[in-house]
Amino acid sequence: MSSTSLPPGLQIEKVDERIMTLNVGPQHPGSGHMRIIVKIDGDYIVSADPDPGYVHRGEEKMAEYRNYILNIPHLERPVIHDSCNVLYPYCLGAEELLGLEVPERAKYLRVIASELNRCVYIQYWLAIYGIFLGHSTMFMWPAGDRELLIDMLEKMTGARVTHSYFVPGGIRNDVPANFEDMLLKRVNYFEKRIKEYAAVFAGKLSREDAIRLGTTGSTLRASGVNFDLRVKEPYDAYGELDVNVPVLKEGDSYARSKIPWLDMLESCNIIRQAVQKMPKSGSVRVKLKPNPKGGNDEVYKRVESGRGSLGCYIVSRNTPEPYRLKLSVGSFRNLICLPYLLKGEKLGNMPAVYWSLNYWPVEADR
Amino acid sequence: MGTATGIIKALNSGIKHLAVKRFTLRYPEQKLKLVGDGYQFDPSTGVGIAGYKGRHMLFHDHCTGCQLCSIACEGVAEAIAMVKVQEDWKQNKKAIMPQIDYGKCVFCGLCVDACPFYALYMTNDYELSSFTKEGLIYTPAQLQVKPNIAQDVELKFDNPRGATHG
Repeated sequence: MSSTSLPPGLQIEKVDERIMTLNVGPQHPGSGHMRIIVKIDGDYIVSADPDPGYVHRGEEKMAEYRNYILNIPHLERPVIHDSCNVLYPYCLGAEELLGLEVPERAKYLRVIASELNRCVYIQYWLAIYGIFLGHSTMFMWPAGDRELLIDMLEKMTGARVTHSYFVPGGIRNDVPANFEDMLLKRVNYFEKRIKEYAAVFAGKLSREDAIRLGTTGSTLRASGVNFDLRVKEPYDAYGELDVNVPVLKEGDSYARSKIPWLDMLESCNIIRQAVQKMPKSGSVRVKLKPNPKGGNDEVYKRVESGRGSLGCYIVSRNTPEPYRLKLSVGSFRNLICLPYLLKGEKLGNMPAVYWSLNYWPVEADR
Repeated sequence: MGTATGIIKALNSGIKHLAVKRFTLRYPEQKLKLVGDGYQFDPSTGVGIAGYKGRHMLFHDHCTGCQLCSIACEGVAEAIAMVKVQEDWKQNKKAIMPQIDYGKCVFCGLCVDACPFYALYMTNDYELSSFTKEGLIYTPAQLQVKPNIAQDVELKFDNPRGATHG
């Protein structure tokens, strides 16, 4: 068997005597569900080869056998902590295919739910990032404050993480009584708490820009590019809200980890605006006939998720199920720049650089 | 931020947080208060009623054995099976009712949305652990029971030393 037909990491290669190959993952706590094949010379990384695909679940194929409603619970599984945002482009696409008009109140409630979810996701990501860096306070604080918003989402949607809240044509249920008061109390306290995080950030790492690699989300905005779909292609009620996305010029790991934190502060502003502008009553969901059929059409919708732009491409061929569904996720696009970022870096800095990409293995593999 | 100021800031923050109240919920003793009686669905308007999606509750006098909940679950978790019951209801000629396997259920609530006869609701009960696999399978008779759990602790924000539970 020639060496080229073997899977990566098992090939026999002629390398320098000084160079050693390390397999970080797939069960390593510092890599998530993926493997990074790192070649090191002493303490310095010569090359890094990310090897994703360990948690491939065939979400796109599964979607071809379920109708537009039954697709909801499994399509939010790629990132359960950001389940509203993962489902968002699918719902927007399905609405266009089925010709549904979303009620005004549902649009605002969707924005609120997805901003709350963004905060929940970023807090979880920040907590894991803290553990990777060996910083226990950075784990404890976000994991505790996350509970505030999870509790809010639980009251709103009925589930702590996998909400199954968005449906083509609106949202599943209206919010409980006294919702605005509960929400604003929590958001104001949450904002006060995350402002204290400024004391926790430490350790600046110098990193190169990686714009030309097609990165998205916090990775792109940390490199000084002002691109956020909430502003550039506003969907649902975002067009009526004043969104100021944070942009930093440094492009290093510190900046990349700071952007989501600033994003959370912006989310608090968006939620407060949305609560103010939201119609106080009205329908939240259009009535759907059972097994709705999409026309002979195809549609591509994208939204800004916690990890960058997240697109959903649906092809419909007059059936109750999508003919083909494709997710284009931010995680996978950001992973591309990992070999470039790690080259010449010290091995000890690998977790800091790797996790700052805002990479979620399960989402990248779908 | 310089190293020295950074250290001083971090120490300052640490000292401040010695006085902050603990946020922890002491779970088995305290249980968080949830909204309403659980997730319900109104088929006449097509919109749900906000509530926690926990264990189901089946109203035997409403169930017609139409299997719509089971069909909805087939595409999600395959947790619902229709079983024979030894009951005589006028609306349920086939005498079949849903039996739910909580080892498979993902608590999405689409079975509740599918029911057109107000027979299936979700309750606030989330403590479903069992020592055996069979213990997770709830028969129609078990689903009929209304759970009775004390959930009364709420988040409090009025304390200036930080938010607390209860």
